[in-house]
Amino acid sequence: MNELEQELFEKRLISIAKGLDYPRTPDIAGSVTTRLRPVTRPRFISRKLAWSLTILLILFSSLMLIPPARAAIIEFIQIGIVRIFRGTPTPPSPPNEGLPSTMIPLTATPGPTSQPLIPILESLAGEMTLEEAEQTVDFPIRLPSYPPDLGQPDRIFVQDAGGDMAILVWIDHQQPERVLMSLHFLPQGSWAIDKVEPTLIKETEVNGQRAIWTVGPYPLRLYNGDIEFTRLIKGHVLIWQEGDITYRLETDLSLEEAVKIAESLQPIEP
Amino acid sequence: MNFDLSGEARLDESTLIRHAASGDAAAWEPLVLAHQEAVFRLAYLILGDPDDAADVAQEAFLRAWNHIKRFDTTRPLRPWLLSIVTNLARNRFRSAGRYLATLTRAFRNDSAPVNIEEKSAQHLEARELWKAVQSLSVPDQQIVYLRYFLDLSVNETAQVLQVAEGTVKSRLSRALERLRGIIREEFPVLSEGHDA
Repeated sequence: MNELEQELFEKRLISIAKGLDYPRTPDIAGSVTTRLRPVTRPRFISRKLAWSLTILLILFSSLMLIPPARAAIIEFIQIGIVRIFRGTPTPPSPPNEGLPSTMIPLTATPGPTSQPLIPILESLAGEMTLEEAEQTVDFPIRLPSYPPDLGQPDRIFVQDAGGDMAILVWIDHQQPERVLMSLHFLPQGSWAIDKVEPTLIKETEVNGQRAIWTVGPYPLRLYNGDIEFTRLIKGHVLIWQEGDITYRLETDLSLEEAVKIAESLQPIEP
Repeated sequence: MNFDLSGEARLDESTLIRHAASGDAAAWEPLVLAHQEAVFRLAYLILGDPDDAADVAQEAFLRAWNHIKRFDTTRPLRPWLLSIVTNLARNRFRSAGRYLATLTRAFRNDSAPVNIEEKSAQHLEARELWKAVQSLSVPDQQIVYLRYFLDLSVNETAQVLQVAEGTVKSRLSRALERLRGIIREEFPVLSEGHDA
């Protein structure tokens, strides 16, 4: 086919193709907008919710049930979906007082003396590859580029907590039984999380935005509608919000290092 | 915030994309409205079923929203969206579920009466051309749909397929040769007045 023949053929194709009777375009914009809007969840316990609850009980570090905090609440700090209460000081009790030795509280990033977290990770549902997680959640998963040798997370979990929550876990390769760091992505509509009176609350900034640095141990209260649980958290947590996502970074590192990690989040290279 | 792509208050696409990239879902809606027809039609051409096409189109916009922060706002959005829908539709085409759906649809179509009188000659001719294109390989189909059915320029087609313009031209040339052969042998009605 020479150039002229091809040109004529192309014109004919375009002319014929214009006559194709496509189905009416559905309201895709409406469907997409609905799916982007946070979903209001019913207040009763459904099977899905109960499942989510079970997962969260494990996720939040196999912490031990402690009596509910009854301190009079006078103010709170809110970052994203995380609310940190400052109440009337109550005499802090030793973190492990009254607990059997086999029930030592753990964070998702335990200190060097804590129990290994790996068995807990093994029991967590929703593990998948990073690529699968990217396709599952409705928000971009970003990875820290600091420290430079950190690499990709070793374990990735996506769980339904009222919204798909992603958890990335880095293992200490020098001590494979120990978790180095965990990063949680909490979208709007996830379970509300209260931190009640951490030992230390410090305001800081991540990318120029307000962030909170807390140091445990402190009670952590999770609630959704009528359900409420209180757990004991031990560890350092940096909380900040970008867009609709609340980020929660647990690490044994210093505040300065945690902020560097938080500010180094980058989209995953395709 | 409300956004409107029509009238004097029209916001340019890159502004809306920047708002969307900062997490503003309200900015995404007018962009979906502006491009949903092209996205849906391409999915329909590849999959041949309006329900499948609607699912894939919706998924493409959600996928694009999730990755909008990576998008270069100096580039037009449409080629990127069409690139996403091409990949999604192709993957769906390969799935077992899709295969079963095609069988179901084929059965449904065979049993349904066809009222030829309701179809204009132009529509029937276009349907015949679509059938002829479906005889081509998947890459050939994609390039023909983009260039001749959606009427994209060579430059836009290159952006969708993420290849150089020269590559688009050479691939088009080869696809047209093959399509012409198929038309000559199996769809002579389309050759009338052209292949004398």
